Amino acid sequence: MEFEEEEEELIESKPKYSEAEKYRIFDKEFMPHVDSMYNFAFRLTNDEDDANDLMQDTFMKAFRFINSFQEGTNSKAWLFRILKNSFINDYRKKSKEPSKVDYQEVETVYNSTEDAEYESTTDLRIEAVQDMIGDEVAMALNGLPVDFRTVIILCDIEGFTYEEMAKILDIPIGTVRSRLHRARNLLKEKLRSYAKSMGYKELR
Amino acid sequence: MAQCSGNELMKEECENHEKCMKMIQAVLDGSATPDEIEHFKNNIEVCKPCVDGYELEKSIKESLKTKVSKVCCPQKTIEQLKVKIGIGLLLILGLVIKIKVIQEIFI
Repeated sequence: MEFEEEEEELIESKPKYSEAEKYRIFDKEFMPHVDSMYNFAFRLTNDEDDANDLMQDTFMKAFRFINSFQEGTNSKAWLFRILKNSFINDYRKKSKEPSKVDYQEVETVYNSTEDAEYESTTDLRIEAVQDMIGDEVAMALNGLPVDFRTVIILCDIEGFTYEEMAKILDIPIGTVRSRLHRARNLLKEKLRSYAKSMGYKELR
Repeated sequence: MAQCSGNELMKEECENHEKCMKMIQAVLDGSATPDEIEHFKNNIEVCKPCVDGYELEKSIKESLKTKVSKVCCPQKTIEQLKVKIGIGLLLILGLVIKIKVIQEIFI
C-alpha cells in the first residue's frame, strides 16, 4: 500500500528534532493549516465525524513522523499528502458515500467518450454559473467521484500548483493536468444540469 | 487555439480544442509553462471556442473559490487534538523518568 511504503520510508529517517523542537514545529508549521485540513477532510468524506477523525489521525501521524519533515519546506503540501493517504487507506472503504466509483473505471469510460463530453459541456452559460449560489456549486462538486473531486479541491479551493498536487497525489504532472481537465468537464456537466433546472436555456 | 496562429479573423471552430483547453486551464491555474503562456497570449484572441472556453473556465474557477464555503475546523476538534498531542508528551516524559529511575536503582 502507498502509505505503508511511506511509513517505512519515514521510519527509516533519523531523529533530528528534540522534543521541544517537535512541539514548536507542530505549533508553528502544522497548526496554521488546521482549517484547510479539516475542509479537505470534510470535502473528501462528506461527513463531519469522519472529517474530525481523519483530520486528527493526520495530525497524529504528522507528529509521529515529524522527523521526516524538513522545517521551512512546504508543510501544507506535506500534511495534505498524509491526509490523502490516510483517506485512501483508512476511510475510503468505510466512507458513507453511497456509491464509490473506481478512478480507473471512470477514466476509461471517460476517455472513450471524451469527444461526446466536449459536445455536451460547451453549452453551459457563464451567466448561469455566475448566478448559481454556493450550495449548487458545492453540490455539483460533491457529486463528482472522489478522485476528480480531489484535484478540483486541491487546485481551485486550496490553490496548490500542479507540481504540489503531483507530490500530494503521487502522480506525474501530466496526469494532474489530464485529471483536472476531465474533472472540470464532469463538473461542467453537473453545473449544466443545475443551470437547466434553473431555467437557463442552452446556447444551441 | 493551438493551431490558430497566423489567422487574423476570429475562428468559429477549433480543431484542437481539448489540447487548447488543457493549456487554458494551466494558464488560469498559474501552472502553465513559459511557452504555453506565450502561445496563449499570441493566440487567445483569434479563436472563438477558446475565448468562450477561457471565460467559462475562469467563471467556474472563481465560483469554486468564492462560493463554495470553507468549512472551519470545530474548536472542540482542535482542543481534542491538542490534548492527544499533550498526552503523547506526558507519556514520553513518563517513560524518560521511568528509565532514569530504573537506571538510578540498578546502575
